[in-house]
Amino acid sequence: MSMFDSILAGLALVGNVEAFLSLAVGIAVGVIAGAIPGMSATMAVALALPFTFAMQPVNGILLLLGVYKGGIFGGSIPAILIKTPGTPASSATILDGHPMAERGEAGRALGMALYASCTADLVSNLALILFAGWLASFALNFGPPEFFTLILFSLTIIAGVSGESLMRGALSAVLGLLLATVGLDLVYGTNRFTFGDPNLMGGLNFVAVLIGLFAIPEVLALAWHPTGHLGKTRKLGASRASWADYKRCFRSILRGSGIGVFLGSIPGIGAAPAAFLSYSEARRKSKNKANFGKGEIEGVAASEAGNNGVAGATLIPLLALGVPGDVITAIIIGAFMVHGLQPGPMMFVMNIDLIYGLFIGLIVSSVFLLVIGGLAIRGFKFVADIPKRLLVPGVLVLCIYGVFAVNNNIFDVGVMFVMGWVGYAMMRFRVPAAPFLIAFILGPLLEDNFRRAMLMSGSDPSILFRGPITWFFWALTAITVFAIVRAAIRSTRPQGAGAAASGRVS
Amino acid sequence: MVTNRSIGLKLGVGALLAACLLYFYAIPTWVRSPSNVREIVMSPVFWPTVLSGLMALTGIGLVAGALRGGEIDTPDDEEAAPPGGPAAWARLGGMAAIMVLTMFLLPRLGMVWTSMLVFAATAFLMGTRYRVLAVVCAVLLPLALYGFFAHVAGVAIPQGNFVRLP
Repeated sequence: MSMFDSILAGLALVGNVEAFLSLAVGIAVGVIAGAIPGMSATMAVALALPFTFAMQPVNGILLLLGVYKGGIFGGSIPAILIKTPGTPASSATILDGHPMAERGEAGRALGMALYASCTADLVSNLALILFAGWLASFALNFGPPEFFTLILFSLTIIAGVSGESLMRGALSAVLGLLLATVGLDLVYGTNRFTFGDPNLMGGLNFVAVLIGLFAIPEVLALAWHPTGHLGKTRKLGASRASWADYKRCFRSILRGSGIGVFLGSIPGIGAAPAAFLSYSEARRKSKNKANFGKGEIEGVAASEAGNNGVAGATLIPLLALGVPGDVITAIIIGAFMVHGLQPGPMMFVMNIDLIYGLFIGLIVSSVFLLVIGGLAIRGFKFVADIPKRLLVPGVLVLCIYGVFAVNNNIFDVGVMFVMGWVGYAMMRFRVPAAPFLIAFILGPLLEDNFRRAMLMSGSDPSILFRGPITWFFWALTAITVFAIVRAAIRSTRPQGAGAAASGRVS
Repeated sequence: MVTNRSIGLKLGVGALLAACLLYFYAIPTWVRSPSNVREIVMSPVFWPTVLSGLMALTGIGLVAGALRGGEIDTPDDEEAAPPGGPAAWARLGGMAAIMVLTMFLLPRLGMVWTSMLVFAATAFLMGTRYRVLAVVCAVLLPLALYGFFAHVAGVAIPQGNFVRLP
């Protein structure tokens, strides 16, 4: 079968109302679920799975993919409007999205989030179609040492999201790494900082930590100074990002899409690190570096491009190798299996029409996301008009429900409250929260892969330099650390301080 | 205005104290390591010990940075920082009390009724100008969320021991 025949066969499979309706419904459900804190894209896909059993295989899988893509974008809506990320992938969007909303530019931030998401989604889908085989075989070369060096390099993102002080960012990251050690030891299964409480044995719930760190400090800050927000513009402002905005952010969007595709094609990394890495790179390369963290539209574009760039790429190892790239694709594998399909190399031989049908559906999904996302923004953006002293209690209640819903566990609500106070203390001491979160995500992966590498080599550290991939990431890490140190030294010089002060003091 | 220098000093000293507490007390007490671990890098204690070292280094860096005075002072975040005073501290204490009571009431009253009380208490603590609307929202929002999570998402929302919802 030639490629043209395969495309025609795929088109025959999805060229009907049911397939496109499944995709549209999936995206709508995903956007709504993503916009509700605690209702993650993962949960939405899991909930949608049973509905696909009675559907045609291609329609069912398109529905799930729609939920996935919609969910990743949907998370940015509450992240921008109420500083509560709907999904972990949207954590980086808060950094500039919420300040924009506070400045009265919620509509502009949401618009840019949508355009960046759709562009990255399209790039990710094209990458899936063009590079599925090649990228999948490259990702197969990643063992624990390669993962360790990749994650170590990813930790250099912290410098990009540390704000005014690199040392405070480092402190925040160390605290995050420390908190990630809570629970049972990965190798021996012994207790670490569980204080005898069985609830802590599984570690701290990520969503509880995330929401506690970002949303609850806002509640406490309002309690401290309930009238602090009065007089500030908190209207929607422009309802759409302009073409000029899009053009200005296009490089960051493309770079973020590339980062998302690369990290998405490696199983187990996820969308949140991709978003932060994309944000960090955009900040490093931007002319408006000083505005990042204060409401820079390029920051919103970069983080949304990073997390949506992952969405299509996670299907690369799934379709080409049968290896799920993340939790969501692991659920989607279930849908394939229910319909008697086994993702992997043989699928490209036995079910090529289905593969191309999915490819066509995925390309169309970017257009649907643009339309449905636009409608969702119109519906949700009125949140910005709610008086803050009514909105914040609502956010608190929403957080309680959302955090409980993740694991059906009241203990997680307590974790969220405690992390809220930690986050508030960090806010008061001007310690950035983003490095804490990045370290909390990457800490277990870093330690796990380090120890697995040591197990493989009998504790010989030379395994961490075993091949070109590890050398490549060591070199990148060294270059980045050198650049960070040099920039830090320059910023503390008297002549630099004056220049920086003029740019940084708001 | 609180300066970066004073904040840096406080954080640095705090980080050094935390590193000492970790290394000398928390790790030996709360991290269990099996007796048959032959290589230190494989021990459950290794990673937390490395982190306590990093914490100490960060603390030294913060103190050194503060003493050098190289960082630029930035104004306080209006919403997170002063004006303080007894009223502000009382409101923060009120929020702490609301959170503690929430944890106590969730398994007993159930999530819906507790959330209603949380919403109303928080709104009045913040001094909302829309009192009637706050009460209406306090009733409707938890009910709507219950409807969604219990009947759409299939989450078993705690019902408590008194009034149970369908």
